[in-house]
Amino acid sequence: MTARPVRRLAEQDNLRLLKGRRLRRPTLAPWMLMVLIGVVAFLGLGFARTSLDRSAFDLAELSKAISEETATNRQMNLEIARLVNPARISPLAEELGLVIPDTTKQLLVDLTPEIPVVAGAEGEGNNQ
Amino acid sequence: MAAPKAARRLQPSKVRVAVIGLAVVAAWMGMGYRLFQIQVVQAADLAEQGLNQRLVSRDLAPQRGKIFDRNGELLAMTVQAQSIYAVPSQVEEPLWVAQQIGGPLGADTDVLYQRLISDREFVYIKRQVEDVVADEVLGLEIRGVYSHPEPTRIYPAGAVASHVTGFVNIDGDGQEGLELVYDEELRGTPGKAEFERDLQGRVIPQGYSRIVPAIPGVDLNTTIDLPLQYQAQQACVLALEQTGAISCWVVVLAVETGEVLAMVGAPIFDPQTRQTQDPSCEQAEDPVACRAFSNFIVRGIYEPGSTQKLITVAAALEEGEVSIGTVFPEVPDELELRDDACRFADDELYGCYRDFENHATEDMSVAQIFTRSSNIGTIKIAETLGQDRLIQYIEAFGLGSKTGIDYTAEAPGILNFEAGCETCWASAAIGYSVAVTPLQMAAAYAAIGNDGIWTTPHIVSSKTDVDGETQVAGMQTRRVVSSGTALLMRELLALVVEKGTGAAAAIDGYRVGGKTGTANKLGDDGRYTETTRASFVGMAPINDPKVVVAVLIDAPSFDYRTGGLSAAPVFAAVMKQALHRLGVTPDGHQR
Repeated sequence: MTARPVRRLAEQDNLRLLKGRRLRRPTLAPWMLMVLIGVVAFLGLGFARTSLDRSAFDLAELSKAISEETATNRQMNLEIARLVNPARISPLAEELGLVIPDTTKQLLVDLTPEIPVVAGAEGEGNNQ
Repeated sequence: MAAPKAARRLQPSKVRVAVIGLAVVAAWMGMGYRLFQIQVVQAADLAEQGLNQRLVSRDLAPQRGKIFDRNGELLAMTVQAQSIYAVPSQVEEPLWVAQQIGGPLGADTDVLYQRLISDREFVYIKRQVEDVVADEVLGLEIRGVYSHPEPTRIYPAGAVASHVTGFVNIDGDGQEGLELVYDEELRGTPGKAEFERDLQGRVIPQGYSRIVPAIPGVDLNTTIDLPLQYQAQQACVLALEQTGAISCWVVVLAVETGEVLAMVGAPIFDPQTRQTQDPSCEQAEDPVACRAFSNFIVRGIYEPGSTQKLITVAAALEEGEVSIGTVFPEVPDELELRDDACRFADDELYGCYRDFENHATEDMSVAQIFTRSSNIGTIKIAETLGQDRLIQYIEAFGLGSKTGIDYTAEAPGILNFEAGCETCWASAAIGYSVAVTPLQMAAAYAAIGNDGIWTTPHIVSSKTDVDGETQVAGMQTRRVVSSGTALLMRELLALVVEKGTGAAAAIDGYRVGGKTGTANKLGDDGRYTETTRASFVGMAPINDPKVVVAVLIDAPSFDYRTGGLSAAPVFAAVMKQALHRLGVTPDGHQR
């Protein structure tokens, strides 16, 4: 259904061929492409915006989780500090019969190869 | 002719169209003008107004810095707690509510009831309770009772380090101790958050936001050894029970560095609740001024008594006026520096000096005078020096001026050498007429332990902030006597423990040196009373001292009135733990 061949038109008597630019029928393709690009851009923008919002929500959730974990961490540090408090441990140790010794025992290590002796000494000694 | 005339006349319909057209054009122009006004001329102002409606600004509270001991154990930290409050107008049955929440909160029901029936819109039920307790209260789902988060300061070591850390008030402001000294650095810098919110108060994710983060406060790393601090405190509490004294104070210094390893007092107090067993605090108008809260080691001044003799004898040795073997002939047990000052045996007149125990007049060497703590002998030694040189050495050892420790309201002490005072030098030589803090005396003894070099005592060794750890500068040293004199003085101190008044300070495995001190307290009438302040200051191992311990017991009962009886045993208990904690090698000495 496109135009007939020009040659046949020229062969008719009462018609003559005028030279000039051939008239083109407008094509929809570029417009459709532009519309398509526009739609894609719009959808892409919407998607990006949504993703950004989602990321912001995710970040907010993560920040909240970090805050909670930090608070938990602080509470645990506090718990540890309370548990290692000498005022708590000492009475418990005494209940178990553990006391700080009155005397100091020191191991004397002789580093000479022929006498590898380890002797116990109470309340005296030197580091060698 | 009718047609042209008619043609000239406008048709009504066209007029209407024209009018409507003009109206429409005018309307569009009006709208365009308004649009221009809004979008261009007023755009910035309107945008700002809109933003201001959505914009919310919040202050970001900085995290208060922590306080650690020398081993990294926590002494103080801030955690999030819950403050329970009520809106009284919403509470339907105040009495029932008070009974329900009074139990979990540990609060008095009557007090709660009075708050719940008040006319105010908002009342605090209890501030800064732990989450567990808050959950229990809120779990009752009582209308009108709510909570909001609020930071609270926690002292995990409880009363053990209370005289070091001090405490903060309910709003987190430093009130005492390190909390007050370093309050500004501990509290940090507040931040700010600005963000847009919607009608429901939710944050608009892509809206405007600006956050200036809060800068947390610095962490303080102290020189305190928490286990030693506990042992020293226990020794003090035990001493109070045994001697019936009103207070006991112990400070432990590292000889070479001036680090305060322990600083305790009894009666103790809990920095969390600011509660104490000290009866003097019940009468005190200002809670901080009561005996238990105020750190006597840094702020309290007392006449040191015989512990002062270390300075007198060291000065005489340093100046070459005497040697250890110098013998003073005919040393009596009583001396009058003013005529008839000692008329009667119980006279405490100005210018009358007596030894603690009666003895016959005898020749005494410097070593004997020091070991037996002879007041008269020491005055004779001071006489060889003269007042000016005695004052010079007293000041060189740091008495009469602040040590410079990083603690609040340190007392400089008092040196009473008023013009025309004939006997002040003699009193000062034996520890009267001067008032010192236990810390000053400990630092003076540490100078002898450190071969004659005096060092500034300090509690904070470093600070940690967002940029990392920085060492605390400002520690000063100065030589007060030669190393030879310091060595001689250490030998004399050891003799005091081995043969003199400080026998109870001896420790198995280490050779210990120290000096007892017993000074009568001044009464309200300005006269000396029978009540004493007993002290002992010493160091170990005496051949290479690592630690100095100073003990002061205020007003022990008569049976424990001397430093040798009440303070020396505390010294021994604390020194033994200190040497164990520092891993100091025993020198094999047996008592």
